[in-house]
Formats: sequence, C-alpha cells, structure tokens
Amino acid sequence: MQRIINALVQFRNPILYFFLLGFSLLFLSSRSSFHQNKIGELGFYFSSGLYEFSNSINQYFDLKEKNRILHQENTQLKALALKKNAPFLYDPYLGNPKRFPFKIRNVNVIKNSLLNQRNYIIIDKGTEDGVQTEVGVITSNGILGIVKSVSKKYASVISILHQDLKINVRFKHSNAFGSLVWKGKGPTEFSVEDIVSSAQLQLGDTIITGGMSSYFPYGIPLGTITHIENDSNSGYYIMTAELFENPSQVYAAYVIENKFKGEIDFLNKEAKP
Amino acid sequence: MNSITLKTFASFVILVLFQVFIFNQMNLFGYINPMLYVLFLVNYRFDRNQTLFIFIGFLLGFFIDLMSQTGGAHTIASLSVSFLRPIIIRNAFGITAELPKSFQSDPRIINKAVFLLFFILLHHLIYFVVVYFSWDAFSLILKSTSLTAFFSLLLVVIISSLFKPTK
Repeated sequence: MQRIINALVQFRNPILYFFLLGFSLLFLSSRSSFHQNKIGELGFYFSSGLYEFSNSINQYFDLKEKNRILHQENTQLKALALKKNAPFLYDPYLGNPKRFPFKIRNVNVIKNSLLNQRNYIIIDKGTEDGVQTEVGVITSNGILGIVKSVSKKYASVISILHQDLKINVRFKHSNAFGSLVWKGKGPTEFSVEDIVSSAQLQLGDTIITGGMSSYFPYGIPLGTITHIENDSNSGYYIMTAELFENPSQVYAAYVIENKFKGEIDFLNKEAKP
Repeated sequence: MNSITLKTFASFVILVLFQVFIFNQMNLFGYINPMLYVLFLVNYRFDRNQTLFIFIGFLLGFFIDLMSQTGGAHTIASLSVSFLRPIIIRNAFGITAELPKSFQSDPRIINKAVFLLFFILLHHLIYFVVVYFSWDAFSLILKSTSLTAFFSLLLVVIISSLFKPTK
C-alpha cells in the first residue's frame, strides 16, 4: 500500500497530465462535432481491424449457407433474364406480351464426367423436389443437358458432352438454325451441323438456343463460332464452335421445366402417324 | 496571499482577457491570431511546484477555450506544454548549470531565446495539430505553426521587455 502511494506521489505529474488530457479531449469532442468525428474515426481505425478479422472468420463458417442463398437468388434472376430474351408474341401495348412457360429450380451437380464419349451427370434433386424426366438443365453460362431418369432425391442427366445429343441452336446475327453436337474432342469444342450453305454467317457470331425444342427457351447464349467451312458437295456448312463454359466443371445448375411440354409432346405424336 | 501569488493571479486574468478579446480577434493577414497567453506559462517561476503548474496551465487553456467558444485546442496545447516545460528548461539552459529561478531572472540571452523559441513552437504545433486533426492538413499545420509562432514570439518579446523582471 505504501508503495502504491509512493508510486502515485512519484508519478503525480504524468498522472495529472494524462488525467487532464483525457478531460480536455472529452471537452474537445463535446464542443466540436468535427473533432468528435475525428476521434471517433481514430477509435474506429483501431477497432475496425479487429472487427474485420472476426468478421472474416465468421463469414467463413456460413459460406455454404451464403452459397445456397445466392444460388436461390440466381434462380429467380435467371428466370427474369430468360423471360426478357423470349420473343414477343404480339404488340407490348396489349399487356404482357411474352410467353415464357418455364419454371426454374436450382440444383447442384454431384457427379460430372468428360472422359467418356457419352457422359452422364447426377444432380442432387429428384421427384421429391419436383424434378421430372425430359426437362432441360442449364448453367449460368450455357446449357448442361437433359434429365434422363429421376429417383426420389437424385436425377441423372444426359450431359451436353454426349455424342447422340443434338441441341437446336441459332445465331445472334443470323436467322439460320442448326444443331449443336459434341464430337468427343475437348469439353468446350463442339460442331454445329445442318446449316444450309446459303445462310449468311460470320466468324465469331454468338450461338444461342433456338427455342424450337420443348427443353430450352429461346436465347440462352452458348458459345461462339470459331471456324466456318463451306462444303460445296453437301450444301451444308462445316462449322466448329467454342462453348463459353466448360460443362465438366460446373457445380451450380438450374433445371428448367416447360409447363406445356405435355401438350407439345401430344401434338408431336399426333403429327407422326 | 503574498504579492507574487497576487501578481501571478492578476497576470493570469489579464492575459486571458487580452487573449480572448483582443488577440483572438486580430486575424492578421486573414488568419494569424498571435497567442500572447503563452507569456504566462513562460514567466511562471521555474522553482515552483510542477504539479500545481500543470493544473494552472490546464486552467489557462480551459478558460480561453470557454470564453472564445473554441473547442479544446488551447486547453490541450497549454496543458501539454506546461507538462513538458521542465524538459524544455533542461535542454535550453543546460542540465549541469544551476537552474534559474524564473525566465526573467536569467541573464543568458541565447539560452532564453532558445527556450522561448522551443516553447512557443511546441505550443503552437500542438495547438494546430489539434485544430486541424488530419494528416491531409500537414503542410497547412506547418505553415500556420511557423507564421503564428513568429508573431507570438515577437509579441512575447515586446511585452516582456516592457515589464521589469521580478526579483
């Protein structure tokens, strides 16, 4: 006790000084809002580093949940974007002019491959979540495939990296349409077939979905034309295309379901005797 | 209450009033307000109680701040400078030499000039750092400090030469 008092007496000047300094800082901040802000900033400068550190750790723990929320949000945005692409049916003055009978669900890819000539993908949603067979699967930058079979909680998808799958496509700056087929080379290397050589095409044009199947809506951008060759014997173009996105490296995808698919299939059956 | 205390008290009051009502309104060249009240901290006897001096320095700045409606810059500057005064005295007058009893009583002019210069510069630097309180205003702080310190120094020298040194 005696020592404490001795120390207090010995350091009375600095103690008094810092006490009065603290008082005058309080006085300063109470009288001048500029200094109040500045002193607040100073305190914030020291505390913000700590907060940032703790925040970065906290964020790390709920990344999975954040991803889920973002994926869900993207699903809604995807639907809006695709709807905006949809062609006008009649004049916009007559009310809602767009026809977009598609419903979008977010799914995660749990198994993917590119090593076979006919690849399949497994996604983590099945009949319990309303996924049906024969519906399209798209990604953020293209399309992934078509659902082939569904179990309770999972579904298997014919990948776009499948030699027998033909996707109806057209071009951004041309009305010609054809089919996109994988030839089994690189995972982004595709060829476009069935385009008559009378069509006007340019290198680098964007390939979009044609909207003529019941699987995919019109206007999903898929890739660009990298090579055009006019084959005079057959009367068709020989064309290669590069996809925007590697389908074998996709994690998040969307199942896109056409509400009127039944009607279209029925009409297709009727047409064929 | 002896005569020295009375004189000190009177000079305290007079300097505060002069500072608030005359020198803070000067605005030389638009923005220079010389700070004469530093004279009180300079003239306060060296051999008195340091603790009391810190408190008086605080009160001096506090009253000026209160009366001139400014923030707390005068308080912090004069408080800090009165806390640091023994260090400045030691550096200006030498450690080994016998310390003078007050600023006025010492005959060495160069030491006095050094002491005055250091003291006023330090006071003004702290004052303007607190007033601007921003790294962006660094050059502005230096400019204001040097210009205002020059005029304060001039005034302090003139005023203190008008009065006879206290024995």
